[in-house]
Amino acid sequence: MRIEGRTLRVGRERMPLLSGAMHYFRLDPDAWRPALRELRNMGLPIVETYTPWGVHEVSPGEFDFGAKDPRHDLGRFIDLAAEEGLWVFIRPGPHINAEMTHFGLPERVVYDKACQARSPRQNPVILPFPPQMFPVPSYASERFHDEAGLWYDAVGEVVAPRIYPNGPVVLLQVDNEASYYFRNGAFDQDYHPDAIAMYQRFIIERYGSLPAAAKAHGQRYPAESDINPPTRFEGQTPKDLPRYLDWAEFQERLITNALTRMRGRMAEAGLTGVPVTHNVALGEAGLPISLPAIDSVVDLMGLDYYHPAREHRTIKRRTLLLAGTVELPYSPEMGVGAPPWFTPLTHGDSMYCALTAFAYGLRGLNLYMAVDRDRWYGSPIDARGRSRAEAAIWRDLFTRLTEVRFEELTRKAEVALVIPPEYRRLSRVTHLFGGLVSPAALEALGGTPVDGCREDGLGFEGPIQVLWWQMLAKTADALTEAQVPYVWIDGDAPDARFEGLSVVVCPTYEFASAPRWERFRALAENGTTIVYGPDVPELDEAMAFHHFQAPKDSRRVLIDDAADAQALVDELIRENDLPRPFQVTPRPLETTVHEDAVGPRVLFVMNPTRDPITSTVTLPAPCRLLDLATGERITGETEAEVSMPKLTCRVFVIEKSASEPPPKRRPSARRKTK
Amino acid sequence: MISPDLRFEGFDVESWTNLVALFSPGVVERMENQPAMTDAPTADKREAGGASDLRGTLVVVLGNGDRVLKSYHTSRGPIVDLEWGGRESLGELCRTYGARRALALREGVADEMAERLALRLQRGDDYATQWLAFTRIFREMEDAGQIYVYPRPLEKVPVPSAGTVKRALDIILPDDHSVVMTVWSKGRPFTTVALSRRNGCIDRVVGPDLLTRWVGPLGGDFRRDHRVIVDAVSGALAPVHLGVFAELSTLEELLRASGPGAWAQAVAVRDVIIYPAPPYAAVALGADAVRGVATETRRLLGGVDFFQAFSPLTDLVRSRIAEVASVKATLGFDPLHALSAWLRRREPRAEEYSVHAGGTRAADSRDPL
Repeated sequence: MRIEGRTLRVGRERMPLLSGAMHYFRLDPDAWRPALRELRNMGLPIVETYTPWGVHEVSPGEFDFGAKDPRHDLGRFIDLAAEEGLWVFIRPGPHINAEMTHFGLPERVVYDKACQARSPRQNPVILPFPPQMFPVPSYASERFHDEAGLWYDAVGEVVAPRIYPNGPVVLLQVDNEASYYFRNGAFDQDYHPDAIAMYQRFIIERYGSLPAAAKAHGQRYPAESDINPPTRFEGQTPKDLPRYLDWAEFQERLITNALTRMRGRMAEAGLTGVPVTHNVALGEAGLPISLPAIDSVVDLMGLDYYHPAREHRTIKRRTLLLAGTVELPYSPEMGVGAPPWFTPLTHGDSMYCALTAFAYGLRGLNLYMAVDRDRWYGSPIDARGRSRAEAAIWRDLFTRLTEVRFEELTRKAEVALVIPPEYRRLSRVTHLFGGLVSPAALEALGGTPVDGCREDGLGFEGPIQVLWWQMLAKTADALTEAQVPYVWIDGDAPDARFEGLSVVVCPTYEFASAPRWERFRALAENGTTIVYGPDVPELDEAMAFHHFQAPKDSRRVLIDDAADAQALVDELIRENDLPRPFQVTPRPLETTVHEDAVGPRVLFVMNPTRDPITSTVTLPAPCRLLDLATGERITGETEAEVSMPKLTCRVFVIEKSASEPPPKRRPSARRKTK
Repeated sequence: MISPDLRFEGFDVESWTNLVALFSPGVVERMENQPAMTDAPTADKREAGGASDLRGTLVVVLGNGDRVLKSYHTSRGPIVDLEWGGRESLGELCRTYGARRALALREGVADEMAERLALRLQRGDDYATQWLAFTRIFREMEDAGQIYVYPRPLEKVPVPSAGTVKRALDIILPDDHSVVMTVWSKGRPFTTVALSRRNGCIDRVVGPDLLTRWVGPLGGDFRRDHRVIVDAVSGALAPVHLGVFAELSTLEELLRASGPGAWAQAVAVRDVIIYPAPPYAAVALGADAVRGVATETRRLLGGVDFFQAFSPLTDLVRSRIAEVASVKATLGFDPLHALSAWLRRREPRAEEYSVHAGGTRAADSRDPL
């Protein structure tokens, strides 16, 4: 029972990570079995559910798991799933969102001052989500962790005995979208005494002593208790910045530590023995989290997707970041339908989002929601367990992807765009729109995480907090235009993520991370072309002088505009012989190809525009393209004509030649019923 | 007013999107917009195409001495070198950069608002009360010159208290009752919504999936089906206090109509069914009819006020109307009028239309009642 490659091994069976969400506690129990059956008929081997603390706790310390309300009978639900041939993915929180009041937390916990996150003025931090605004808990609060532990104990009594091999539970998730409950502006929170104490220890650990910390921060710290975090941005020169950058990094560390602690507490409650996941919310580029750090404390980390088709570039960028940063690109929530207070999502939107994410590297997902419920619309199965027309479309997709063993295929990319965490943090602390419209919120709304940053140079030649993103974005545009496959990588990703790359592009300005610079030098020694610039840094993250030696055979560039980026990409293509498979015209249509040891196996063709377009795809060899959805076959010697309706992603199996017989079908994974 | 246990159910993608589009066509507009295909857009003046190309919001953050720290267009991206000319320049800036509206705020204001909100909210406040508190804080910031907004359609409208809003809601949707609206489009059900209220709070929002379960399949004639719907909703949800049934095109026109008489005329010819019609609605329709007649007669009589000769009668009617509470009188403004004005601003038209468009009728502010 483990994650194996990009599959889930359960005993002798390996299955793709495909699941569908269903909330037992919101449905008539009579609807459970028919809904589970329809979910299985959609080709999903796993059913996922949250288990809401605030629903099961009927009074302080008293929990109902079906004795009082049959809708709360979690054990029966899990057992029914097993009877219907399904595995089970449990997400016990402690917080779950799920469009629930107080995000599924008990009201008494939310209004317990010792549990509440604190603003700079020690006020509660209010989340304005419907149907009722509420003060959010603190990820540092000892009281909150104690309370959450008691919840884990309670739900563990029901779930633990049903964990594989004793039952059908094969996946667990720790917490949910841990990023300060969407109140994630740099100075929104958390100034809870427990958080400040943690921050003080973090600073001492970083600098080794009070005097060193005081010097780095330009503050007076007579005692450890005087190390107070900044409450607003007032930096004007480089030497002012370490204090803010440390605070931004601490916010990431607090989340990682909280998840580690919660996972440990889950294990104490018996919620262990199977892979544990965590999901990251929209706008991850602007969130106070470290993707590699979270990935290191769970077994599987993924991104949640709720994008309309018109947000093609965001779907693409997020997936490329996931594919570049983690081993198994996964989505714990691939939105199907939406809550009423989101921008409306159609079936077409959900399908385009899922297909495009697959196109750029996703290898597993959880359809959220597969079954309709309160405060949701648009699922393929309604709340009575009856399939809507869309269910058949999803079923066909999953069936065909499973048949071609899509989870085992790889999209090769030799170019990586590196996000420097120190610049990302600088962008967060210089954000001007406050916590109610944080960098993450801007990104989630279709903007970028630097759109709200001040434009001051802060003593540097230009506003690094904006420029780094623009350099990477322009380079991404040029790579896209040239149809060169690439990924984005978090700069703190492990070394394994950089292996096999021909080119690494990383913006560098007057200050930069010295350890990462050394990693680049090591990569360059192994033959990777390092593209950096516009500056050779002179300062490290503490704004102390540091000698940065240029990596071997590296290129220093200045990307001011699209022409600069295009010239760079053209040179990189020539010098590194970068492959550009299955190119398509006209632009801005895009293609991606996924292959195994034999060669290219699956081709995606995407039309992100509002106009139908007839495209021409260049073929490396004579082949036949089989549309997975329609069954249409398109053959060509050197090119193939593919008609693309507006806002459409078409998926083709690549068959070597017109004479090659169609591949044999593999049955979809399914748990044996009792 | 809004229950923390609010249940929202019974919609699919189409019916929910249709309902949203009725009252917020901007949402549909955004769904149709093609966003930038790059993560590095920079808007400049040349992108603005004039009045016909207005969209999104221009956001400006000001530092000390009115120094522009950031300027950003929500649909076009960052703006370089915006020249700030004070509050009075917001309209011109909107035209220059192709924005439908503008928001200028001083650095730190957003954080200040968040702190004030945390202090004002009480445990147990419902969502409407909470947003009223936020609105009041926003107005305080405007009054203190910390926030500038353009345009300001509700400038003269006071922020009502929670109690005031509750009283207004009591008129439209009393406790233990429901309201229902069903819209048809070319003979097919377009969307339906029913709301119920218990213990002072709206506790359920129900869509056509559930309605169909209660009523059975709907036909294409709302003039015939409305009684069946009302009976079914009354039995399954709560007694219906107000029902509105209409063809989509008619309802869209009425929601944007500012001229008097439009609703009354539509009801009279059964282009809209109001059933049941609570006392206020009946009086409002009657008043709307009178206003419509007054406007029409003034037009026909070349400006002569027809009702001058009947002023003792109108005085009598006016005094009786006061006995029946009106939403407008309770809130201090007419929400239907505000909605129509907002919708019309989003879809600028050279002229206003009546339900039976056969010409144009200018809005007339003179109210004989």
